[in-house]
Amino acid sequence: MNEYTVDSSYSKYGQYNVDDHLELILPETIVKIERIGEHAFSYFRKDSEGKVIEKMIPTKSNELKIELAPIRPLNHPARRTGYVFLKFDKEIYLSQNSAASIYVHCPIEIGIFLISESHRESLDWITCDPLNSRFGLYGSPDTGTLCKYSEVTLANDYSDSTPYLDGVMKIIVENNLDSGKTVSKVVFSITDNSLYYENSKCILDGIKVTLKKRAVVNIADVQTDPIQTDWKQSPTWETSTSKTTMEMGLE
Amino acid sequence: MTPIEFLQGLSEMEIIGGLTVLSLLIGGIIMAAGIISAKIAKLIFFKYYAPTLPQDTAKNFGKIIYFGIIVIAFLVFTSSQGIDFSGLLVAGGIFAVVIGFATQSVVSNLISGVFLMIEKPAKHGDTIQIPDMSISGTLLDIGTFSSRVRKFDGTVIRIPNEKFFTSNIRSFTASTVRRAEAMVGIAYKDDIETAIDAIRNEIRLTMPFVLRNPEPEFRVEELGDSSVNIQVLVWHPRDDWSQAQPILLTVIKRALDKSGIEIPFPQRVIWDAKD
Repeated sequence: MNEYTVDSSYSKYGQYNVDDHLELILPETIVKIERIGEHAFSYFRKDSEGKVIEKMIPTKSNELKIELAPIRPLNHPARRTGYVFLKFDKEIYLSQNSAASIYVHCPIEIGIFLISESHRESLDWITCDPLNSRFGLYGSPDTGTLCKYSEVTLANDYSDSTPYLDGVMKIIVENNLDSGKTVSKVVFSITDNSLYYENSKCILDGIKVTLKKRAVVNIADVQTDPIQTDWKQSPTWETSTSKTTMEMGLE
Repeated sequence: MTPIEFLQGLSEMEIIGGLTVLSLLIGGIIMAAGIISAKIAKLIFFKYYAPTLPQDTAKNFGKIIYFGIIVIAFLVFTSSQGIDFSGLLVAGGIFAVVIGFATQSVVSNLISGVFLMIEKPAKHGDTIQIPDMSISGTLLDIGTFSSRVRKFDGTVIRIPNEKFFTSNIRSFTASTVRRAEAMVGIAYKDDIETAIDAIRNEIRLTMPFVLRNPEPEFRVEELGDSSVNIQVLVWHPRDDWSQAQPILLTVIKRALDKSGIEIPFPQRVIWDAKD
C-alpha cells in the first residue's frame, strides 16, 4: 500500500455534471456515464478485478449530477457487518493513567452517488484495493464480532492519506487502568464515523478508546470523536450505532 | 307482522332443552362478533406489534389472541343463554379418557411444540441439520404440532414436533463464522513449506470471503503411503459457505499447479528380492 503512487490524471472526489458523456478514471478502475437518449443515461464500470457493472439510469431531465466520494469500507466483497477491525503494524504501549494520540491509515471505498434535489442516492461503489478488503473475527467463533479487517500503518497527520485507498483517522487511546497496557488493535462500529474529502484526500471522524476495568476484566470503550473540518462531508446511507465495547482482548 | 312480534315468535320456538331459535340467533351474532373481533385483533397485532417479535413468537401470539377471543365469545354466549354444561361433565370425563388415548401423539406434539418455543434450539430462517433424520435445510417455522424445514433441494419437509424436539439439531447459523476444510496430498520430494506458502498466497488472492483473522491454518495431517497429507482450514462468514468450501480444493489445486508441486497418484515401490 505504501508503494502506491498517485497518477494526477485520476478523477478527483467531488460533484460532476453529465450532459452527454463523463469518464471517471480511478486506480485500475474506469467509470463511464453516457447519455443514451431523452432522459436516459447508461452507466458502465470496470474495476481492478475485471468485474463489469452496467446500469441504465432514467432521469427527469437531460442532465445528470453525480458525486464521487470516499465511503466506509463495508461493501467489498459483500456487506456483512458495520464493524471495522484495525490491526496496528506496531503495538502501542501505554503506561498507567496515560493517554496517546495517533493517526492511522484507515481503508476506504469509493461511492458514486446520484444527486437529486434534496438527497443523494447510492448508485455504485468501488474498492481500489480489493486484495486488502477482507473480513476478520474479533473474539471467538460463537460469540465474536465479524468485522472488516485491515492491517494499518501509522500516519503522520491528516494530510497523509493515500488517495483512493485510505483516509487518515485520529485515535486517542486513554489508559485508566492501574497498570501499563499494550494495544495492538481496535474494533469499532464505523457507521457512526463520517468521512470528509478534499481533492483526492480523505479523513475520517476519530475514535476515542478508553481502557478501563469492569469487575475483574480489562475492557476498552470505543466512542466516536467527531472532527471539525472545512473539508466536504461524504454522503452516507448507513444508520448509526452506539459505542462499541471491546471485551475480548486488546493485544 | 312487526319485528317485535317476529322475535317473540322466534323466542317461543324451542329447539331442545330450553334452547330457542332466538337464543341460537343471539348466540350466532355473539360468535360472529367474536370471530370478527378476533380477526381484527390479530390483524392489528400482526401490523403493529409482530414486526418487533421473532417470527415464530409472533405467529404463536397471533394464534393465542385469535383463539382466545373466540373462546371468550363462546363463554359469553353460553353464559348469556344460561346453558348448563354440568350434565356433560360425567360424559365428558369418559370422553376425555377415550380422546386422551386416541390423541396421545397429537398432545405429545403439542407439548413438544411448546417446549421448542421455550427452549428455541433454532429459530425461523436458521440453517439446520437433523442428523438422525438426514435432513438439512432452512427452518421455516415451528408450529403448534409440527415444524417445517425447506431442504436445499427446494422441497419442504414437515417434522412432527415430538421428533424434532427429541432429535439432535445442528445449527449452521448459531455462530458468526464457520470453518471450511480440505485435505491435499503433496509428493514426498516437494517442500512442505513451499506448498503451504503457495496455498496461503492463492487463498489470500482469490478467496475474498476467507477471514484474515483467524488466519488460514495448515496441518501436516499424515505421512501417507503416497503423499504428505496437508489439511487446510479456513474461516468464513457463516452465510458465505458457498464462497469457501466448494471452491477451496480448486484454489489449492491451482496453487500447487502454479508452483509445480506434484499431487501424486497412489503408488507402491516394489523391491525385487534378488536385487
